[in-house]
Amino acid sequence: MDAYLAAIAIIALIYMLLSLGLTLQYGLTGLINFGHVGFFAIGAYTSALLSLQGLPLALTIPAAAVTAGLAAWPIGLISLRLRDDYFAIVTLGFSETVRLVITSEKWLTNGVQGIPGIPRLFETISVGIGAQLAVMGVILVVTLAAIYAMRRIVASPFGRVIEAIRDNEEALQALGKDPAGFKIQVLILGSALAGIAGAFYAHYITYIVPDQFIPLVTFYVWMAIIIGGVGRVSGAIVGTGLLMLFLEGSRFLRDIVPGVSEVEMASLRIGVVGLLLVLFTIYRPQGLMGDFTKR
Amino acid sequence: MSLQVTDISKAFGGFKALSGVSLEVPMGALVGLIGPNGAGKSTLFSVISGFMPPDEGAIGFDGRSLDGLNPAGRARTGLVRTFQVPREFAHLTVRENMMAAAPGQTGESLVGLFFRPGKVREEEERLAEEVSEVIRFLRLDRVADEPAGKLSGGQKKLVELGRALLVKPRLILLDEPFAGVNPVLIGEIMERIRELNGRGIGFLVIEHDLEALTRLAPQLYVMDQGRILTVGAPEAVLADARVREAYLGGAV
Amino acid sequence: MFYAQLAVNGLVQGLVVGLGALALTLVFGIARFPNAATGDTMTFGAYTALTVHKASGSLALGSIAAVGGAAVLALLAYLTVFKRLAGRSVVSLLVASIGIGFMIRAGLGVAFGHQQQVFNVPLSRPIRVAGLAINPLDLQLAAVAVVALAAVFAILYLTPIGRQMRAVADNRDLARVSGIRPERVMTAMWLIAGGVSAVGGMMLGIKTIVSPEVGWEMLLPVFAATILGGIGSPVGAVVAGLVLGVAQEVSTPFVGFTYKIALSFVVLLAVLLVRPRGLFGRIEGVR
Repeated sequence: MDAYLAAIAIIALIYMLLSLGLTLQYGLTGLINFGHVGFFAIGAYTSALLSLQGLPLALTIPAAAVTAGLAAWPIGLISLRLRDDYFAIVTLGFSETVRLVITSEKWLTNGVQGIPGIPRLFETISVGIGAQLAVMGVILVVTLAAIYAMRRIVASPFGRVIEAIRDNEEALQALGKDPAGFKIQVLILGSALAGIAGAFYAHYITYIVPDQFIPLVTFYVWMAIIIGGVGRVSGAIVGTGLLMLFLEGSRFLRDIVPGVSEVEMASLRIGVVGLLLVLFTIYRPQGLMGDFTKR
Repeated sequence: MSLQVTDISKAFGGFKALSGVSLEVPMGALVGLIGPNGAGKSTLFSVISGFMPPDEGAIGFDGRSLDGLNPAGRARTGLVRTFQVPREFAHLTVRENMMAAAPGQTGESLVGLFFRPGKVREEEERLAEEVSEVIRFLRLDRVADEPAGKLSGGQKKLVELGRALLVKPRLILLDEPFAGVNPVLIGEIMERIRELNGRGIGFLVIEHDLEALTRLAPQLYVMDQGRILTVGAPEAVLADARVREAYLGGAV
Repeated sequence: MFYAQLAVNGLVQGLVVGLGALALTLVFGIARFPNAATGDTMTFGAYTALTVHKASGSLALGSIAAVGGAAVLALLAYLTVFKRLAGRSVVSLLVASIGIGFMIRAGLGVAFGHQQQVFNVPLSRPIRVAGLAINPLDLQLAAVAVVALAAVFAILYLTPIGRQMRAVADNRDLARVSGIRPERVMTAMWLIAGGVSAVGGMMLGIKTIVSPEVGWEMLLPVFAATILGGIGSPVGAVVAGLVLGVAQEVSTPFVGFTYKIALSFVVLLAVLLVRPRGLFGRIEGVR
């Protein structure tokens, strides 16, 4: 298999984990989380730092999940107290604050310089295509497990309740069920997935800097689930595929069309994401769950 | 043993929505609550069911005070409310709507769903049967597997009623069950309410449609401008001049 | 004394935040949604002023162009996007506004590149007033802000359209019933919001730098100020902006330079959880 394809597959799988987490939180439960990248960052830095202390990746990656999940707990508590647009703003502020903390606490994170030399998965075994395929294999297995877990959740009573919360929270309360615990669990679980994605990301690119964890990443994932079809696991998969097409396609375009600089392409990407967000909001509200209810 | 509403007052800014409202619904009774638009009926329901705190007054159910209980807590005591504008879980099927309502499901915890799949499956099967019965009772068989959002207004109200039933309520606060429902369905809904009342479930029914409610409830409270005007049997209440004035003087 | 100096330093920053918050609170109060494109509109104002200033040498011309350009931009956003989403959920409008912000930022990035640019304004020696060092540039910027604020408040409180805007913010249904035409109110609102953002952005650009991100980075403090001041309260927005700006500077010795932005997040959270109404607001519905 081509090294390039393996690389794309790895990034795609990482985005898939992010999409699954956001699907759980927004697609199924209706929570507007604009801070997804914050948990991605927490996972990445946690695993990176712990592994550089000598701990094996088999420990640091789960640790990343746990840390990201724990960080989501106060966010979950906050979600109980705020209307969805205020919650969105707060989560956005959260992810920016995470980036701020990462940038400032140089003693821990090396600040803007970032953390180089993060150990790869299977670093001791080999380098080159073999190792890369092994890495892809591991991430694939984890992603498949996540997809399986999500499908189980969707088909379960738990899945029913969170969808009920999304569709009409007060009605659920009037039936004697408290949405609180469910919302918190969903935020923790989805963020733990983001944390795992972050850990894999760190161990793949081996050099992380705060600037990789900007809100644009959150909105890439939002775009993916909106385009793929909100509220369905299949939607997350399709959306991630389309996102990768977009990201790789735009890079490809740059290679073909001369005169477009790296930064210009970055700007164009932001513009396209913005345009798609606007278009989908206007024309395909099912992309934002609008078939029957007026959302 | 009943629903005791004592001296409830609620103001929004300068506007007094409820003033010293008291009423009682004995266990298993079918009581109606009528009044012109803006009388405060739905506000009263929101206060009773815990969605809004009263400024003054107390609510007791089954001998216990409901003070401090949030809506979910109140529903768990057996006091379930429905909503004036139907609040179906639009993207779930009718069947799923009702299955979501049943309490005590092991599969609703993540631990349960992943680590006790056998028990979850068992409960789901039993629940599915129970739900099928309710669906049959409500004559919703044909739309049982349609997304609830696609139903007509009247059907949605039946779904809400079905959901309430799965909670095994002792008293249902029914908010305008006939509003916006086609006349044929109104008769159906009324029949279902009567049957359920026959089984011992109490009802406090808000209705704007006087005609329908007088056929249904043996006792009516009349509200106007945030107060209880009078209470009594339908004929007596409708003959009351004050009631007629309230309806004619206000919005009819 | 030291803190007084920091406070003075924070005033211009506070005015910038206050202007942004004013724009945000107008939209929040009248159109009833948080407009996340406010920050990028500020950036647009900064770039417009920069470009015109470079071409003409006149800051006055630059500011007029900035205000005009951003006002039109905001109105365009309304006509093409927000108007079509009228009646949809707040979240839809919020997501759309993020999209619009992204598009503005992308356009600026493509047009001007990503390097930081600065206004070519003459350096000036700080003057000493009562033992405090005050930068004449800051005074000029403050003056501009005050003029802009005065204009906006004059419109809001002294003109018929301003009264209508306040009526819609107070009680939309009542306003509609009393014959206020929503179109005109919306148009006025977006023009003003755009113009105000532009002034803030321009000030920010002159005081610091101009890059495609500057406005977006202001979004968090601007949100915090809007909510602290009370949503829908223009006075609240400005006061809260000043308070935040000053607080940010004064807190620097304690929390360090980068963390002063985190102060906004803390304020935002605290207000939403403890007193959602903010200082002067009336709308309580954060839950």
